[in-house]
Amino acid sequence: MKKFHFWQVSTTKIVDKREGGSMSKCKFEDMIDGYLLNRLGQGDREAFEEHYFNCPSCFEKLQERDLIIITIKNHPEILIQENAARESLFSRLKTEVAAMFTPRQLALAGVTAVLLLVVVFALVPRQQIPAPNFFLTDEETVRGSSITLISPVIDMGQVPASFEWKKLGENVEYQVSIYNHELLWKATTKENRIILPEEVRAKMVPGEKYSWQVKAFSPDGTLIAVSSKVQFKIAER
Amino acid sequence: MNAKKKEEDVQELITRYRPIITFRVRKALGAQNPEAEDLVSEIISQVLEKIKSGEFRGESSLGTFIYTITSRRIVDYIREKTRVMKYAPVPQAYPDPQETLETVEASQKIKEAIRRLKPKYRQVLYLYYYQELTREEVAQRLGISSRKVSELVNYALKLIRKEIKL
Repeated sequence: MKKFHFWQVSTTKIVDKREGGSMSKCKFEDMIDGYLLNRLGQGDREAFEEHYFNCPSCFEKLQERDLIIITIKNHPEILIQENAARESLFSRLKTEVAAMFTPRQLALAGVTAVLLLVVVFALVPRQQIPAPNFFLTDEETVRGSSITLISPVIDMGQVPASFEWKKLGENVEYQVSIYNHELLWKATTKENRIILPEEVRAKMVPGEKYSWQVKAFSPDGTLIAVSSKVQFKIAER
Repeated sequence: MNAKKKEEDVQELITRYRPIITFRVRKALGAQNPEAEDLVSEIISQVLEKIKSGEFRGESSLGTFIYTITSRRIVDYIREKTRVMKYAPVPQAYPDPQETLETVEASQKIKEAIRRLKPKYRQVLYLYYYQELTREEVAQRLGISSRKVSELVNYALKLIRKEIKL
């Protein structure tokens, strides 16, 4: 009977470090997780165990994976700490808020918050419409407030005696212009109303269309607001 | 063949196979089993004895030969204990590794590497390794494909391995 001596074996089996040590992926590598998580059947488990006794590469990976899994098993907090921290902060806030207010107060706070949102999103933007551009002539454009014209803004039964608009503030000078096909009359005043002189009224003919516009100037003469040009018609008698 | 060469070969065999035998024994009996180390030493002695006596004929690889001896000894040990204790020792699922300086250091590096992972990787590792869900279950939980789960797990492991080897 042929006998193998240890020193003979050593040169072929033990010293050969390349055995199973190839860089390419070993087909048994996919079994590592299954083995460590006890998911392999008996046949696969035994085959894999026999394999890692022969494959240094797989055994190295097995040891490495085992250490990773043990670390995860013993320190799960490192995987969930961020979420846990976020959750605990949120729950602490919730608890503290709940402790500070009664349910009635919380409900009231909710309603107030909703109303505040309505004010912020529905009303404020209307008051903060960006200053419109006014095209005064083909070359001249200004950005400023608008002036609301009060009368006349609809068709009139007779020639209007006065023109009225909404006041902007103190020390504002208004320039009123009345147009037919061209400028009919222009005048300035510090009031928000102007009486139409008789000679101008005389020029205005029933059945004709007219338009008027008001511009506002600051004391230093800067244009600060312009109304839209409103058209009106004097009804025929 | 001189005695010195023989001694070197024995040492090489022990260096190479002792960790493998230890891993197998601890996996079977539990890392905390106080008799595990003795059993490993006993297995190594048996292996050396059988090789010296010519029982190993090269019909299989040396690894398979040692694996067979290890497995038989583990089975015998469990039988002996079952007779004495009525119940076989139940291995602990995931005890702390035998705390060598090397494993403590590696474990620390693993923790640091995991902390640096993006949340999506940490989440998958938590479900797959800590909660021990299957890849399909993880996929279902996260609303992604099993293939994607495998990709995330493999990439996370790759990043961790990279840190360990630094």
